[in-house]
Amino acid sequence: MSHTDDLELNHDRRPAPVGDRIAGAVLLLLALGAWWHSHSFVTGFMQPVGPGAFPRLVSLPLGVLSAYLLFRPGFNERWPDRAGLARQLAVLLLLAAYAGVLEALGFLPATLVGAVLLTRLFGARWQQAMVAGTGLAVGLYVLFEFGLGMPLPNVPWWGAA
Amino acid sequence: MDTLAFLAQGFAVATQPEFLLLALIGCAVGTLIGALPGLGPVNGVALMIPLAFNFGLEPTAALILLVSVYYGCMYGGRISSIVLNIPGDEPAMMTTLDGYPMALKGRGGEALGLSAVASFVGATIATIGLTLFAPLLVDLAIKFGPAEYFALFLLAFATIGGVTSGSFTKSFIAACLGLLLGTVGIDPVSSVARYTFGTFELYDGIDFIVALVGLFAISECLVFLEKRHDADKPHVQLGSAWPGMTSSLSCKGSIGRGSLIGFVSGVLPGAGASLGSFLSYMLEKRWLGAKGDFGNGDPRGVAAPEAGNNAAAGGALIPMLSLGIPGSGTTAILLALLLSMNITPGPLLFAQQPEMVWGLVAALFIGNIMLLILNVPLVGLFARVLQAPSWLLMPMVVLIAFVGVYSLNNSPFDLYMMLAFGVLGYVLRKLEIPTVPVVLGLLLGGQMEFNLRRAMSISGGDWSILVNSGISIGIYVFAVTLIIAGAVYAMLLRRRLK
Repeated sequence: MSHTDDLELNHDRRPAPVGDRIAGAVLLLLALGAWWHSHSFVTGFMQPVGPGAFPRLVSLPLGVLSAYLLFRPGFNERWPDRAGLARQLAVLLLLAAYAGVLEALGFLPATLVGAVLLTRLFGARWQQAMVAGTGLAVGLYVLFEFGLGMPLPNVPWWGAA
Repeated sequence: MDTLAFLAQGFAVATQPEFLLLALIGCAVGTLIGALPGLGPVNGVALMIPLAFNFGLEPTAALILLVSVYYGCMYGGRISSIVLNIPGDEPAMMTTLDGYPMALKGRGGEALGLSAVASFVGATIATIGLTLFAPLLVDLAIKFGPAEYFALFLLAFATIGGVTSGSFTKSFIAACLGLLLGTVGIDPVSSVARYTFGTFELYDGIDFIVALVGLFAISECLVFLEKRHDADKPHVQLGSAWPGMTSSLSCKGSIGRGSLIGFVSGVLPGAGASLGSFLSYMLEKRWLGAKGDFGNGDPRGVAAPEAGNNAAAGGALIPMLSLGIPGSGTTAILLALLLSMNITPGPLLFAQQPEMVWGLVAALFIGNIMLLILNVPLVGLFARVLQAPSWLLMPMVVLIAFVGVYSLNNSPFDLYMMLAFGVLGYVLRKLEIPTVPVVLGLLLGGQMEFNLRRAMSISGGDWSILVNSGISIGIYVFAVTLIIAGAVYAMLLRRRLK
């Protein structure tokens, strides 16, 4: 998996003190928090190894390695530019909203709207997005509901659930 | 011959119509996913796992389906390498070097046919190797107790993190992060809730399937969104794939060498298919040197890496099935699938469920023949799918991920969790922290802790039990050796960069 990263070393890769230091700091805090919180896991009976031991065993190397990352940062891939970031945020917001209304609206209406907007965000023109989104939503519905026999959320106000 | 008897039994299992159908579906879907640029075996298998679960497949059936997808991806990756000059997945990268120049010269069909045959030979040799060598490892591993298993899990992390990645600090950070995430939920031994912060949905722990689909499928889409993709795809005349059959005869030396190199690098834990195709290509280039026309459309430059990556894919199944430690990212995920179905790969699997292991091996032999058929006469069909615009393909991936994950528990919470893991996976990738160790940690954490605690309760709290047997000491030594090898490798790499 990571080997081809080695092959691609030369482009889109930057020495990244800032990104790695932030990551190191966040992970170090996480390790400290996990260590501290693990002391609140108490059981009634005695065991040679309690529920807190393993998390501590893991957060120790995590903390040490994160501290190392903080002091000796390595390489990062190129971070996205502002336009790319905006597209990613838009897609994430759309997907979160879609997850939120899936049960309230029912699968088919929510997915119709979601799929059209999603194809649009992935670069289709409006006309293409309408056709492709509708096709995707209906196709998925037929495939899952009838083809694979997995019940998807029905439209609530539309007959029995 | 015990092995032959078991294999015959396996064929009896694998030739049941249901399993044949699943293998065929897996091969076709795998070829398709492998062919789509950006989506590789890891994403493909990640995307199919929720479907296999929802469909209520029994473990043997699920394993046959997913391993067929895995093998299929390895075949499919070459298609977009040759047709579009974009590797369909990471191991297919070397195939672009000579495959695309062949296509530009109007020999695209021949390259596709040749690479299909090379893939077939590589995968078949690896499957034969799996049949012969996996039982040998099992004989050794049958002596393992909890302390040895704990050591083995440590070895798994050393191998997946240490050997191939550029920064082994980051691989271990990823593994620790995964292990820590794996402790979230009710502790099965003491029934104490850990790191749930009162969220009921977390009491069952973080569902690894949800994490997996987020880390691989969703983060892949986020990577895709970084750039605009409105450029037209180049259109290359392909022609028939049949001439590839004859040219594969003249490349039989390259195919054979590629298969062997690929197989060995697949068996070595942590190396995997990308290394297999890389080494096969480089050695072939060095071997033939001036006699070849590498980089300008030499058929042998297509045959060797394709044989290599398919052989490596098969080889990677050996440590996964016989020891329960993964040799590559995708086998890590297959391992995850088995563990979540309460099946622990390893020596006991061969002893207790031979019909499953040997059914799988037989299904691989059959699947390979199906893949050859899918990839020679029907390859034009797959090549045509590549012409489909990415604004259609990527939303399809996202929506399949959504429906698959939602159907697991009918819970929108899982969808938010998947999105969160998608963002996590994306950020980790940008930081060059590998995501496979996270999944592995999330999944193996429970088993690892369980074996640690069992070993400790056997010894009455004496930590020295962990290093008390020859086998576990041997495993630790092996793990440390691999970590040191990884560090040296990273150092050499850094020097080469300067």
